[in-house]
Amino acid sequence: MSRFSFSWDKGVGLFLIIAVVLGSMLSDNFANTSNLSFVLRDVTEFAIIALAMTFLIISGEIDLSVASTLNLSSASLGFLYRAGLPFEAAIIGGLLVGLACGLFNGYLVTRLGLPSLAVTIGTLALYRGLSFALLGNEPVNQLPEFWISLGYGRIPGTFIPWSTILLVVLAAIAWFILHNTRYGRWTFAIGVNAEAAKFSGIPVQRTKLALFAMTGLMSGVAGVVYTLRFASASPDGAVGYELSIIAAVLFGGVSIAGGVGTLWGVLAAVLSLGVIRSALQLAGFTANSLLIVSGGLLLISVIAPKITEGLRNRPGAGSKKNTKKTIREVGNE
Amino acid sequence: MKALKNLVKAREVPVFVALVLVVTVAGIANPSFISAIGARDILLGVAIVAILAVGQTFVIVMRHIDLSVGSLIGFTSFLIGDLYSQGYGLWAGLAAALSVGVLVGAINGFLVAYLRLPSLVVTLGALYVVRGIFNDYAFGRTITAAMVPPEVAWIGLNRIAGIPVLFLIGLVLVIVSGVIMRRVRAARDLYAIGSNPAAAELAGIPVARRIFSAFVINGAITGLAGAVMLGRFNAANANSGLSLELIVIAACVVGGVTIAGGSGSVWGAFLGAILLQAITRTIGALGIPQFWQQAFNGGLIILAIAFDKYLSGRTKATTIMGSKDE
Amino acid sequence: MARSSSSAGNSVLEMTHVAKAFGGVHALVDAGLILYPGEVHALLGENGAGKSTLLKTLAGVHRADAGVITLRGQDFLQGSTRDSIDQGIAVIYQEPSLFPDLSLAENVFVGRQIVSNGLVNWAAMEKASQGLFERLGVSLDPHAKARGISIADQQIVEIAKALSTDAKIIVMDEPTAALSSQEVDRLFTVVRNLRDQGSAVVFVSHRLDEVFALCDRMTVMRDGSTVGTSLISETSDSEVVRMMVGREVSELFPKLEPHIGDVVLQVKGMSLEGQFSDISFDVHAGEIFALAGLVGSGRSEVIRAIFGIDRYDEGVVTINGTKLPPGKPAVSMDNGIALVPEDRRQQGLFMASSIARNVAVTMLKKLSSWLLLRRKNEESTAAQWATTLQLKFAAIGDPVERLSGGNQQKVVLSKWLATEPKVLIVDEPTRGIDVGTKAEVHKLLSQKAQQGMAVIMVSSELPEVMGMADRIFVMREGEHRGTLTRAEASPEKIITLATGGVIAA
Repeated sequence: MSRFSFSWDKGVGLFLIIAVVLGSMLSDNFANTSNLSFVLRDVTEFAIIALAMTFLIISGEIDLSVASTLNLSSASLGFLYRAGLPFEAAIIGGLLVGLACGLFNGYLVTRLGLPSLAVTIGTLALYRGLSFALLGNEPVNQLPEFWISLGYGRIPGTFIPWSTILLVVLAAIAWFILHNTRYGRWTFAIGVNAEAAKFSGIPVQRTKLALFAMTGLMSGVAGVVYTLRFASASPDGAVGYELSIIAAVLFGGVSIAGGVGTLWGVLAAVLSLGVIRSALQLAGFTANSLLIVSGGLLLISVIAPKITEGLRNRPGAGSKKNTKKTIREVGNE
Repeated sequence: MKALKNLVKAREVPVFVALVLVVTVAGIANPSFISAIGARDILLGVAIVAILAVGQTFVIVMRHIDLSVGSLIGFTSFLIGDLYSQGYGLWAGLAAALSVGVLVGAINGFLVAYLRLPSLVVTLGALYVVRGIFNDYAFGRTITAAMVPPEVAWIGLNRIAGIPVLFLIGLVLVIVSGVIMRRVRAARDLYAIGSNPAAAELAGIPVARRIFSAFVINGAITGLAGAVMLGRFNAANANSGLSLELIVIAACVVGGVTIAGGSGSVWGAFLGAILLQAITRTIGALGIPQFWQQAFNGGLIILAIAFDKYLSGRTKATTIMGSKDE
Repeated sequence: MARSSSSAGNSVLEMTHVAKAFGGVHALVDAGLILYPGEVHALLGENGAGKSTLLKTLAGVHRADAGVITLRGQDFLQGSTRDSIDQGIAVIYQEPSLFPDLSLAENVFVGRQIVSNGLVNWAAMEKASQGLFERLGVSLDPHAKARGISIADQQIVEIAKALSTDAKIIVMDEPTAALSSQEVDRLFTVVRNLRDQGSAVVFVSHRLDEVFALCDRMTVMRDGSTVGTSLISETSDSEVVRMMVGREVSELFPKLEPHIGDVVLQVKGMSLEGQFSDISFDVHAGEIFALAGLVGSGRSEVIRAIFGIDRYDEGVVTINGTKLPPGKPAVSMDNGIALVPEDRRQQGLFMASSIARNVAVTMLKKLSSWLLLRRKNEESTAAQWATTLQLKFAAIGDPVERLSGGNQQKVVLSKWLATEPKVLIVDEPTRGIDVGTKAEVHKLLSQKAQQGMAVIMVSSELPEVMGMADRIFVMREGEHRGTLTRAEASPEKIITLATGGVIAA
């Protein structure tokens, strides 16, 4: 199992490289540091949420409300600031709101036992609705200069946006936890067989709750970054983001069924999407084309494993390893 | 007596009760709500979602989902108006809408049924791709009232015996679908597939064929419903149908068509759509700002899912010391 | 007992020289089965022998690569479950799979509902299924949804379904595994009726006593081929085992000299509503303590509660004096309890994951330094245990679903023995395992007990209980009916207690 997702990784990595090459061919404005900086800034929110979503989908759950959480955090940030709180405190407020959204999702799934797909469709609407309730129709636009420059600007002397540092740090932590700690193993185990995980002493419900909370928190972080980048907190931002995030995670090699995936793959996939969007824009295609491309990549990400699986299970296509073992009993024991 | 007892236990009862409750509450708060006009308002508003919810039921009952309906209905509603304005006439437009619907349904169905891809992912991709193609096709243009075929405009504006024609179309669809789901063998297979997919294969049911057909049927219904949408709004643009799929699924879930598959009825989905619409109006009737609308919808979905879980949990497995309930 | 006419040419099914491979795995090499109308035919063989594959070929799930299959002289249409059903074959799988949301009547007629004028006729279906249930001697309500009915009742519905398709060949795969002895009797009566009415019933089971009680003829498979077939009356237990295993199996239960020490685990007054009540016992170091009883007596529920999978309502569990909080498996593990669960595939293993991951999953904290967990640590632990338990595998990174049942059980045992528990609980440790591995498992348990481990064993197999246990705690319907020491125990006494009787002093 791990062997397969390893090669999917490499596949996505390759895809990224190809995308970059194609992008440079499509437009002269593509392969320079200014554009690269642009791409990095563009993908940051997606990537941050995708980090958490990776864990969640590997564990067998899903959260469709992430964009709404991002938006609610942003709206809360704006609301608190407009109400007079110092900006730093408003940021903390926004983060806490994100965490709360995640915890609520987690509570519904782990405590009440509701299916995450259906229930996060509900919270998707709920959280977005709450953003409207908080801000009405008026976005909050007067944000402190210092923070906006962090959201939009780069490290002096380089092309690297500040927000990328944040992303790199979070990605490193996420990678470490997922692939090199027992918490990561727990996540995979729960995704492969939650019941066996329980019987092995893994705290399944607590872990899932934590994963939902983490997803909410990351959505909150993304919400703060989003607000700073656009220098505005509005009630209808980030519409439809959740689908791009899920598309990236799935394209990155995480199986929708759970139990399989790597963080490298997801990061490569997110970057690929950013690269493609930039390339298309620069080459004069409408933003619309990205929609079609995302949809296409999503479909490829699920069709391709099926094809390779089919090829491997061809009658007669045996691997040497099988023949010397005891005869495999198909189905019942 | 047994028939009555079974009726009371039906999944659709809670929705119906909720509906009655909501209307009562709203009526008390704002008596004009229960007037003929108020009722008509609800029925008008509900038609599109109700029709789509009926089609979606075919899919959800099999333990699948179709997220592409919003993009699809937006597209076909635009298409009908666009073709008419180019001189092709109503029937050409309807034929095109049907074809597009069937095509999208067939592609979705093929990928899910024969390649066995998860429907969530496939229809999510379709949602994107269809919206993208639609955007390109529309290219910023809008369909205005002048471009709407008169027949379509007619169904949007008129009533028969006081009931909006739009709603009647939905009602007829529900009645026919209701009979099909209950009395046609192939439709019963859909329930079996959703209830226990593995056993369905072993029982000799042509699972792939059924799944494919259900997606095609849903696609066809959605495609043709573009006419209903065009009639309702007398306009269409690249944003038509945006996010509609979520409301449709909410209506189904609220109406007892459980996401886990295997149970629920088109009547329930229909009632669910009406309930959601009634709540929307109630919020207005109670003087709550429209901003809360979406939040309410969200809360309602969560409640419906939780209640649904409670219902199926009540009839849980037997224990060694004797059975409980059913 | 009705004699089947076994003159050649009268057969209802002939499968000869059937072969089937999946990738490089040869599940069937030279398999065969001949059935006559009006017989109960046992299909025997160890796990991995090919029984399941052969039957699934008959059911239409697979298509044979080679061989001849004829049905009453005609060619058998392969590869489609629909075709198999239409040709009069009905298969009742080990886990009967009904449709929980559909009514029992619809379950019986699923895919073939009764129609009049093109529309489904519910009244006719309900009436017909009611008739079938009565014929089978069971009172089931055709309107009731299938969700929640007992496994025994599910089987009846499946049999009703078979009857409604006019099936002439009915296959039952391990039907008695989850039944109480009353339900087994009921099933046997039904099967005998089916036989008397001319059907051929294929009965797959590991329980030789049942096979000898019920069946007329038998076929034995080994390593993908049929190695023998005979009348039941002309063979014996040991002969059958020899054919299944291919060698003499003498010592099945090597019991070592026990060194019983102090009390390690104490359970006092434990109750869980609907499952068991007022359960108390002590377990000593070095002792093999068996929980005996019929299926459904609550034993698995008791040990799950001790380990912490389920929360109990009342009572206290202490290990070496430390009180354990209910419902916390991780705490139980930290205090030295291990549980090898009843359902290997669903509860004990991560089928798609590697052997290494499976063995190491209970040891993750110990294998980590600070937070860092290295894969090679998991692999070396697994490799050590694989050697100790003589696990047969290709590579430690292979998924466990490729292993045989016996080897899979060894993986589960490895994962728990690696935690060096003070109390090892095993639930049906040798269920569904070939005879050879069975002996290995028993030897292992005895050795561990001798080294001072307290072993709690839940088992429904009397020979296993009698052969292994130092003390036997008998339960019935959630209650403790009596405890027997090794010296005073006998199968009759255990059964008496297990079925609700009392033993005269």
